[in-house]
Amino acid sequence: MYQIKKRRVLGLLAGAAVLLGATTASRAETLNVVVAYYSAATQGVFEGMAKDFMEKNPGNEVKIEVIQWDNLQQRLTTDIAGGTTPDIAMIGTRWLVDYVKNDIAEPMELTPEFKAGFIEAFLSPSTFDGKLYGLPVAASARAMYYNKDLLAKAGVNEPPKNWDGVVDTARKIKALGSDAYGFALQGKEIETDAYWYYSLWTHGGELLTDGKSGVSSPAAVKALTLYKSMIDEGLTEPDPTGLNRQDIERLFKQGRIGMILTGPWLRGQIKEEAPTLNYAIAPIPEGEAKATYGVTDTLMVFKSSSKKELAMKFLTETAFSPKWRIEFSTKEGFLPVMKEEAAAPIFADDPQLRAFTDMLPYARFAPLITNWEQMVDVVIAALQKVYIGQAEPEPALKDAAAQIDGLIQD
Amino acid sequence: MTRANTRPSDGIGRAAPYLLVLPSILFAFWIIGYPIYDMANMSLHAVNRFGKTGAFNDFANYSRLFSHKLFLDCLLRTLVWTVCVVGGTVLLSVPIALILNERFYGRTLARIIIMLPWAVSLTMTGIVWRWSFNGQFGMVNATLSSFGLQDTPVEWLATATTAFPILIAIGILVSIPFTVTVILGGLSSLQADIFEAAKIDGASGWQRFRHLTLPLIRPFLNIVLVLNFIYVFNSFPIIWVMTQGDPANSTDILVTWLYKLAFRYGELGVASALSIVMFLILLALTIVYAVLAMRNERRQA
Repeated sequence: MYQIKKRRVLGLLAGAAVLLGATTASRAETLNVVVAYYSAATQGVFEGMAKDFMEKNPGNEVKIEVIQWDNLQQRLTTDIAGGTTPDIAMIGTRWLVDYVKNDIAEPMELTPEFKAGFIEAFLSPSTFDGKLYGLPVAASARAMYYNKDLLAKAGVNEPPKNWDGVVDTARKIKALGSDAYGFALQGKEIETDAYWYYSLWTHGGELLTDGKSGVSSPAAVKALTLYKSMIDEGLTEPDPTGLNRQDIERLFKQGRIGMILTGPWLRGQIKEEAPTLNYAIAPIPEGEAKATYGVTDTLMVFKSSSKKELAMKFLTETAFSPKWRIEFSTKEGFLPVMKEEAAAPIFADDPQLRAFTDMLPYARFAPLITNWEQMVDVVIAALQKVYIGQAEPEPALKDAAAQIDGLIQD
Repeated sequence: MTRANTRPSDGIGRAAPYLLVLPSILFAFWIIGYPIYDMANMSLHAVNRFGKTGAFNDFANYSRLFSHKLFLDCLLRTLVWTVCVVGGTVLLSVPIALILNERFYGRTLARIIIMLPWAVSLTMTGIVWRWSFNGQFGMVNATLSSFGLQDTPVEWLATATTAFPILIAIGILVSIPFTVTVILGGLSSLQADIFEAAKIDGASGWQRFRHLTLPLIRPFLNIVLVLNFIYVFNSFPIIWVMTQGDPANSTDILVTWLYKLAFRYGELGVASALSIVMFLILLALTIVYAVLAMRNERRQA
């Protein structure tokens, strides 16, 4: 009874909205696009796309709204629950699995030629049952930045290729007795888990094996024991659980970190904030395997949108045209996702960027499973307990794996 | 002619005021009651991460909540947090209010300074303190080491041992302005002559405070205790901004965990069950406190 009433009220409201819409904009359509905030440049780049599209398609309007990453998930959840979704939204690619499961994302019909324009690896995370549900933006892989001056002072002229080399180099930097730390270790907030996955994957571990959590495998224990021993030996900054990604990046920019694992955006920040820093970029250190963390974000179209055709037109003709792809990726410091974009001189001739793109064949992506965010927090809590010395690596990871297995069941 | 016609103010007349306020009362009930109803409804059903309610699920949300390994920890920590912040606030606010109630040069300025933290949003306060307690770049470590009080930087927020007391201290700091204002209001309503009479009778300063001031401002203290208890119990921004409950959930209180459950993990069912539990805890404590306070007052009267 109550549901019927609610529906009737909502229906009336919707009707009123349609009437209002019809009287003010009888022919022109307004496309609402929600994008995430990457940097101060984000708004400008997308407004530029909107303007370009409106000039080519007169009568239509594109409204861009930029939302902080921290609030995006909450905002879209509220929109979906209230039935007020935009037409296009940018989301973390790993959220897409929930959107597809709940029938919120519209599958994309694309011409084979357009699809062929993408670098294959970046399309797979947004493909479910052979259907594509989103287009990748903001691709990144991770690599190791190292401070050339600091390493040279410690007598190391080549960046370490494996973990033994990292430990050795960090020891030499520590022996300098300055206020610099050998190896940066992120201990809190977003991607604290990823900082450990580098070690996990390169030690031969996996996040999931046969539908079970792999975070307590011998490789995983080895990976965490390595980090813990580096903390105890003073090869990282002290008390890593007090530092998030920005904190360790800031230390690196101040020249106080020998080696740090992070993404391509740091290059842009160094150029702006620490132009004299003498650094270079090398692959993630190897153990038994080579690996890096590949991350993409996704532009998707809502099933509930009444302007899907226009939305797809905006994506295929403007947002994913080589011109705007290059504009976005260079301004925001991400990797190219389209072949034509990658071939552009600005990417192809950049040796630093090559360090990242060369790692793409080894890139691992976050597994596309529900409850992923909760698993991430379980892993982070286990890591933090070990980092602050509250637990030993093996029991902490066993406990985390048991919790994750429980979450996979759900 | 009937009586009703001669005396129209009798029947409808007496009900008129109630009839006139009825719409506002109904409206208020709807505004307050509907979210609670909706939340309770959600907590009893399967809910997907986008808020679509499904079938009734035999209190599964509640059993998952109570069996969650973080629930009890967060509940206990919430109580510690609330009791420490409210207790500390009231203990500090009474003397501050007493001082500000005296006449002295610059009193207005002192009052303004005490009120200032109130004007700053809690989020901003949190951000500023987060920066100040940053181990590598923060002002606290910089100050301590420039006075020679520390050799190596301390990462204040890296473990709960240091982080949680800091959070409580900041919680107290931001609760003081409101509390002082209310108590100050109470103090300024007191009659000066009874204090003079007590003075003439030879009562010491402490005796006057203990046997006159304290009983007389008790109603104000009661208000402050109950309101602060509710605010602090539900206080989200400071802990969220400064630690997000890290490390390893050791600074999570119920409301920060609730946010994670609802908006990070998409567990809207469990989250709404938790909201209902929190609501009931607060309701129960408030009722118990109100009853105790009233009984106390009656006894004194």
